[in-house]
Amino acid sequence: GWKRGSSFLPGIDVTDTKLSTSAFLLLHQARAERFFRSDHTNNWAVLVCTSRFWFNYRHVANTLSVYRSVKRLGIPDSHIVLMLADDMACNHRNPKPATVFSHKNMELNVYGDDVEVDYRGYEVTVENFLRVLTGRLPPSTPRSKRLLSDDHSNILIYLTGHGGNGFLKFQDSEEISNVELADAFEQMWQKRRYNELLFIIDTCQGASMYERFYSPNLMALASSQVGEDSLSHQPDLAIGVHLMDRYTFYLLEFLEDIHPASQANMNDLFKVCPKSQCVSTPGHRTDLFQRDPGSVLITDFFGSVRKVEITMETINLTPHTETALAYVDQLPVAQIIHQKPKQKDWHPPDGFILGLWTLILLVFFRTYGIKHLKHIF
Amino acid sequence: MAAPLTLLVIVAVTIRAVLFRSSLAELISERVEVVSPLNSWKRVVEGLALLDLGVSPYSGDVFHETPLTIYLYHFVIDYAEIVCMIADGITAVALYLAVQVYNKNVFRKQKYALEADRYPHDCLELMQTPKELFYVPLKVAMFYLLSPFTILSCVAKSTCGINNAIVALFVLCTIKGSALLSAIFLALATYQSIYPITLFAPALIYLLQRLYIPVNLRRQSFWLFTLQYAFMFVGSLVVIVGLSFFLLGSWDYIPSVYGFILSVPDLTPNIGLFWYFFAEMFEHFRLFFICVFQINVFFYTIPLSIKLKDHPVFLMFMQIAIISIFKSYPTVGDIALYMAFLPVWSHLYRFLRNIFMVSCVLLACSALFPVLWHLWIYAGSANSNFYYAITLLFNVGQVLLVSDYFYAYLRREHHLSHGLYLKKKDGSEATLVLK
Repeated sequence: GWKRGSSFLPGIDVTDTKLSTSAFLLLHQARAERFFRSDHTNNWAVLVCTSRFWFNYRHVANTLSVYRSVKRLGIPDSHIVLMLADDMACNHRNPKPATVFSHKNMELNVYGDDVEVDYRGYEVTVENFLRVLTGRLPPSTPRSKRLLSDDHSNILIYLTGHGGNGFLKFQDSEEISNVELADAFEQMWQKRRYNELLFIIDTCQGASMYERFYSPNLMALASSQVGEDSLSHQPDLAIGVHLMDRYTFYLLEFLEDIHPASQANMNDLFKVCPKSQCVSTPGHRTDLFQRDPGSVLITDFFGSVRKVEITMETINLTPHTETALAYVDQLPVAQIIHQKPKQKDWHPPDGFILGLWTLILLVFFRTYGIKHLKHIF
Repeated sequence: MAAPLTLLVIVAVTIRAVLFRSSLAELISERVEVVSPLNSWKRVVEGLALLDLGVSPYSGDVFHETPLTIYLYHFVIDYAEIVCMIADGITAVALYLAVQVYNKNVFRKQKYALEADRYPHDCLELMQTPKELFYVPLKVAMFYLLSPFTILSCVAKSTCGINNAIVALFVLCTIKGSALLSAIFLALATYQSIYPITLFAPALIYLLQRLYIPVNLRRQSFWLFTLQYAFMFVGSLVVIVGLSFFLLGSWDYIPSVYGFILSVPDLTPNIGLFWYFFAEMFEHFRLFFICVFQINVFFYTIPLSIKLKDHPVFLMFMQIAIISIFKSYPTVGDIALYMAFLPVWSHLYRFLRNIFMVSCVLLACSALFPVLWHLWIYAGSANSNFYYAITLLFNVGQVLLVSDYFYAYLRREHHLSHGLYLKKKDGSEATLVLK
């Protein structure tokens, strides 16, 4: 189908007049139906680096290398929310300004000329991250800072930084817990903000961050299990810091071999960085995911390619009634649109009013005498 | 003296109206010294909004008003400013009338005592002249209406104004001598916040005095009247509590209102003594210290009533002052109420020993409250200890003020029975001390 980015219909040559028109149409119809039945029409990526200070250079390099990969595979900047907590390229201590390298000896500059950072520096906070995910941003937020996903979006979320058992540290001053993250994803699910979500985290004890997920269609990968540290890869003696973390380094190597038409699936991704290379044991979680990971392409999350075929034929599609998943408490559309509750004013019960005023009248007449009665009636 | 009172009311209303229209109104309604979780108007609006949405207003820790006040506010929520001004007006007029009647009684008693020649001859300068007694009610109304504390409390639309109105009406009914109305207003005041129950003793003593029943525990007439009054009070309290149940159909309000007042869960800083102490209290000891702090309010009633059993109105003043100082969430509105009574005891001025220091302390602390709050919360260069120091000092100043007036009152009474120039047994000059 079109979403797989193939540039031709295998086995069918449109100029082959020997094939009958009806079979041709049937095939188109099947492909079109498969496309419109699939729940995935667009891709988003949220890439977050949560550490600041020069010695956390590798976290920025991690995030930028994933950014580079998803951009190369087709996700445009308008669909990427890039959050970097510190500026390494223009840091005073960077001996090679305007560059961020992922390989030593300056082999690969992941910063490039066209990096668009959406949240920078102190804007990278737990609150902003959760607001981006759930969409609850103030009205003045520009589009580049919003995750404008819908229920057909596949979202890639990549987090890196310093973490621990059940938390991830932001900016050296606050933390996001795995419970908060799981609840944010549940909010996203209930607000139909994603179709499928791939969560990758490269921190120490990263597997603890996906332990608490409970929403459907989430797949998670982590660079280390609980109790293990994720280690960095190699220092560059000219720059003076470690350039990348091991997991993301091998992830980058893996992704460099992926091209937009690649058929590599998630099972290959799970094999990235075995213990011999990573020292820590990467983990993954697929129990919440509906499809079998072997049938999920890497480009379903890392890429976003549209190949458009123009045809002059009309294709009839049958309406699709069965839904694979039902959303919780699904309301009819009319109610969703007009969901403000009707304001009914509260009124005190009649018995109360009656009782109160009877008492007041009784006290009045008891105090001031019954003679006032004749003035009233 | 209707004309000066009317003029006073008009001036007071003008000041409040001007402040309502200015930008200070927003600022003042946020100040913690003026509003507490119990009487903040914002919470009332929130609670009524919850009620409109069909949720009990007591769910969550937002709303701590009683159901009868829900009924009242339900009608006047759009006219909050006018209602606050009217409440202040009612309080002022009630205090005016009460003090007028009281002064008439005082003057009458003084006249009879003078005619019966019961005062020593050198005490004539201690007598209260009709002229000063004539102007005292107006001064009381002025002290209440034009006091900056009252104005702040009104501009913040704090419900303290309405509580003060109920207490003032209770004082008026007691001094006028109507036992039923006094019991009803006392029940209302107790229903609003628990502490006015301590005013039962002075009201009882005053009504007994009025009916010429001696306060003697062995007499049957004393117990008869006490039981009558207690029955009226408890009966009206029960009726009011039952009626509140019928408003919302549940007993939710009891833990939300009375549980909140007694167990002090909210430790927002205010001008009281509870917040700082309980912010650092270990859970293990919390109940004990809550009891200790709360007993402080009720503890002074019996000893003071024994000492002041011939002077119930002064006892009422002292009890209101003690409530305002030691209650769990005091605000400046509570202080304004007992300060309104000070002109009634202006004849004690010559016996007050610390009045200069007390007034300096109170003025300085009132000025320092916003300063140290700003330094603590906004500038970050102070901490809660600074603010609590000022709170402590303010309360010490208030306690000193009240005890000073107590001393002066008792000293005057002593002089009236023993002569103005006291001599020890050997003839040298003696001084009185309050032990």
